Amino acid sequence: MEVIKDLYLLNSAVKKQWESFLQQHGIDNFNNAETKYLNQTVGLFDEHDQLVGTGSIAQNVMKYVAIEVHGEIHAGVRFNKIISALIQRLDQAQISHYFVFTKIKYVSSFKHIGFHCLAQVPQGALLESGFPTIKNYLAQLSQPNSEQQQVAAIVINANPFTKGHRYLIEKAAQENDLVYVIVVQQNASLFTTPQRLYLVRLGVQDLMNVKVIDGGEYTVSFATFPAYFLTSSDAVIDYQTRLDAQLFKNWFVPALQIKRRYLGTEPTSHTTRLYNDNLQAILQPEVEVLVVPRYQLADGQIVSAFQVRHYLVTQNLEQIARLVPATTFDFIKAHWAILQQRIQKGWHGNGN
Amino acid sequence: MEIKRIATAGTLESSDIQITIAPGNNGLQIELQSDVIKQFGAQIKQTIIDVLTNYGVQNAQIKAVDKGALDLVIKARAIAAVQRALEISEEPRWEVL
Repeated sequence: MEVIKDLYLLNSAVKKQWESFLQQHGIDNFNNAETKYLNQTVGLFDEHDQLVGTGSIAQNVMKYVAIEVHGEIHAGVRFNKIISALIQRLDQAQISHYFVFTKIKYVSSFKHIGFHCLAQVPQGALLESGFPTIKNYLAQLSQPNSEQQQVAAIVINANPFTKGHRYLIEKAAQENDLVYVIVVQQNASLFTTPQRLYLVRLGVQDLMNVKVIDGGEYTVSFATFPAYFLTSSDAVIDYQTRLDAQLFKNWFVPALQIKRRYLGTEPTSHTTRLYNDNLQAILQPEVEVLVVPRYQLADGQIVSAFQVRHYLVTQNLEQIARLVPATTFDFIKAHWAILQQRIQKGWHGNGN
Repeated sequence: MEIKRIATAGTLESSDIQITIAPGNNGLQIELQSDVIKQFGAQIKQTIIDVLTNYGVQNAQIKAVDKGALDLVIKARAIAAVQRALEISEEPRWEVL
């Protein structure tokens, strides 16, 4: 009888065994940025107490799944045991909706146990299972009405909302019947998700044809695009940005009848540049991609949320006032103490 | 009865079925995955629907991944899942069991 046991990777002997098992099965990315987010790891052991399968959970994402196979019989049985164990642990942690990144060859195994494919690119695929599903998520968004033909979308993190975001949205609002502003949902940012959403809504409330929506777990989230938040190699960024773009094209575009996507250039961010390149390659020609040069102040100063965060760290309110609309500025002033506290608690000013 | 939370019961191992129940607003919607869906799909769904109906659940999204479970196993898993989803596991309803 093969049994599931918890693997405690803090124990270096256990970790070594786990790593060498994964390496034998073609997984060799043990970057600390990846492994330190693993919440739980399980191992499957055979009658001789040999490790024959493993899988891990990082928040709501299954990772590092590998199975030792001798003939076809074991494959399905062991795979299902591992995934069952992971689902059980997710359920205990009250996580009812989860994802997996996997190689193309395992897609059918996951589909066979109820996973749905969200996006697939040559390097791999992203699948989800549990509730609420992407269909549930999209169903609660309001659709364009019949008069709104030209529909555009902008995806922003808005950490925090700046004059640059405002400029991009205003431009899109003038050029389209309806603009969806999709705010990335991720609490890895200095400004929390509710705060970022609030500031975007406040900042565009005079634009009648703009709808601000929460991107849920489907746009640039820890699930779909961890490299946005973690330092990663170009190959990883390329893979994840493709998945993100493909997911947008597969699901958001048809559900909201999106015809255009607006992007801002980001001269200083390598990740954003790769992301923009892949968006153009994947979304076009079905979706027109418009790249709008970054907004600058009259004196040539570039406006970016990164700059704002920099001035928050250096406590320069005067400069912040130049970069953000009054709505954001008032918010920052009112929450100055708590933002400073967050910075002092070790929140570092980099990232996107 | 309204579904209070998303709940799961069962495993993906042979002869078992994993049933997940979530709130819904459009009757009882079942998504079933099974190797024997052609032969027994309707029967498996009916067993699950009967359990939920006995508990007075009218609206729910249900996902079932069947690995060849017998009818009594399907029933047991459906009961466990619905009791968790209704948050009544501590006070099971003996009259519907």
